[in-house]
Amino acid sequence: MLSSTPWKRWLLLAIAVVLVAIYLFPLYWMYVTALKTNTETFANPPTLWPHHAELKVTRVWNDMGMGSFIQNSLVIACGTVTLVVLFGTGCAYGLARVRSVWMDVALFLVLMLQVLPASLMVTPIFVAFSQLGLLSWPRTGTILATAANKLPLYIVLVRAAFTQVPRELEEAALVDGNSRIGAFLSISVPLARNGILVSAILIFLQALGEYVYSRSLITDRAYQPATVGLQFFVGPNASDWTGIMTFAAIYVTPILIIFVLLQRRIVSGLTSGALK
Amino acid sequence: MLRFNRVFRDGGGFDSALVLLALAYLVFFSAFPLIYNLVISFQSVDLFTIATFDRPFVGLENYRDIVNDPLFWPVVRNTILFVGVSVVFQLAIGLALALFFRLDFPGATWLRGLFLAGWIMPGLVVGAIWGWLLAGDFGVVNWLIQSLGLTQQKIFWLSDPSISIYSVIIANVWLGVPFNMILLSVGLAAIPADVYEAAELDGATRLQRFFTITLPMMRAQLGAVISLGIIFTLQQFDLFAALTQGGPSNASNVLQYWSWELAFREYRIGHGSVVSVFMILVVIFVATAYVRSTRHEHVV
Repeated sequence: MLSSTPWKRWLLLAIAVVLVAIYLFPLYWMYVTALKTNTETFANPPTLWPHHAELKVTRVWNDMGMGSFIQNSLVIACGTVTLVVLFGTGCAYGLARVRSVWMDVALFLVLMLQVLPASLMVTPIFVAFSQLGLLSWPRTGTILATAANKLPLYIVLVRAAFTQVPRELEEAALVDGNSRIGAFLSISVPLARNGILVSAILIFLQALGEYVYSRSLITDRAYQPATVGLQFFVGPNASDWTGIMTFAAIYVTPILIIFVLLQRRIVSGLTSGALK
Repeated sequence: MLRFNRVFRDGGGFDSALVLLALAYLVFFSAFPLIYNLVISFQSVDLFTIATFDRPFVGLENYRDIVNDPLFWPVVRNTILFVGVSVVFQLAIGLALALFFRLDFPGATWLRGLFLAGWIMPGLVVGAIWGWLLAGDFGVVNWLIQSLGLTQQKIFWLSDPSISIYSVIIANVWLGVPFNMILLSVGLAAIPADVYEAAELDGATRLQRFFTITLPMMRAQLGAVISLGIIFTLQQFDLFAALTQGGPSNASNVLQYWSWELAFREYRIGHGSVVSVFMILVVIFVATAYVRSTRHEHVV
């Protein structure tokens, strides 16, 4: 936007690369540590590049019981996304289509519920769920609570996508004899599918990293997700850092890949939804 | 049946039904726990009475206990420190980066997007990584500042009571910078270029342009980003769980983590609810300010 001379542009690019490198250093350090041997991990001075790189994926996967952790993370994330999409898509559509005082009230409610911290909601949810007997199905309980926590964000993002769909197309379908639900499912949803898909993936990624509800509602280790699993090994007395970083790397690499692929769309969806 | 068809199949009842369905879910799993939390805060709840519905009401006793707890004021102070320092640094670094990446050079947008890799990471993993970076004996941060000659002794980031809260703040700033930067970039992009050109022709320096054009035109955006920053920082829980667990001896404890500890570690559920009530009031206050300001902008 602000034009500058060629060599200055390359200088700026160099500075930008350095800034990104500094910012992403923690991620780099995670991968490097995961590749180091145990002795090299604790070498002084630390080596910036692993001299005897070794891949410990299978050992860590088996020793730390990652199979069950990752499986539970996926179950919780899939359940959460299903509930959020099921309840949220229609609501976002309604909020985008109808302009009235009641819809403004509903939107205000959604925006307010978006900010409630999970760590503060978990106590009453724990008490209520134990009274309802829901704690016997701890993963279901976690899914229900997490979905309630993520639903407002999804509604806000998808609502922004539905406002982009021209109303005329839908009206034409209604004139052709479609019912409202027919027009909604065959016209509006397909036209807004990019926004819906990206928002759903964002919710999925966030649900994969969910911690508070899982930690509080799930006591049986067999049902706990990867965040809670990782928490066993970290803490003030952590020592197996190369194992911990391998765990972390296995866990977040798919998340990072999905994110980098969809980065541009997620960012634009986020900025249009969050600020309007 | 005809009436049903007219309202739900073809009419406006369809929209209302869709919205009400989601609202019903939110009322059941978000609004109801909110109110239930308030009820619990007036009750005596322990492991034996948790499953029953007729728990004794104890009036304001839980509130008195919490306010008189020797931990209360230190934890409040920590929370204010945590939120204040985090938001200031997130905003300053985020704004500086947003301004920098607005400059014209190849790959600016793409490189800026890479920052968001930090934002999408699960908080617990970020905490684990920072726990290793900041480790006392073998942490790379200690090695770096020692070899730069900044300190002679190692800093025990996580186990020194006067420092541990700052290590959580550092990790939280790292986590919050990308979001601040992206939202501020959107605001910067909305400022018309000809305003700058006019100012430049009038002989305004870079610094003058920043203070007379950029900052005033970014007022709404800055307000939104600050409110969101406060809200996200008050929501931060995972970093405490991964890094210090409020320790050593509560030196880095904040209200949101203390509330959880009271309820799930010490099983003082009524007391945990009291702390939640305080925090939720603060969050709702900030959120109302945020929602009202964005609504206002929208109308104008």
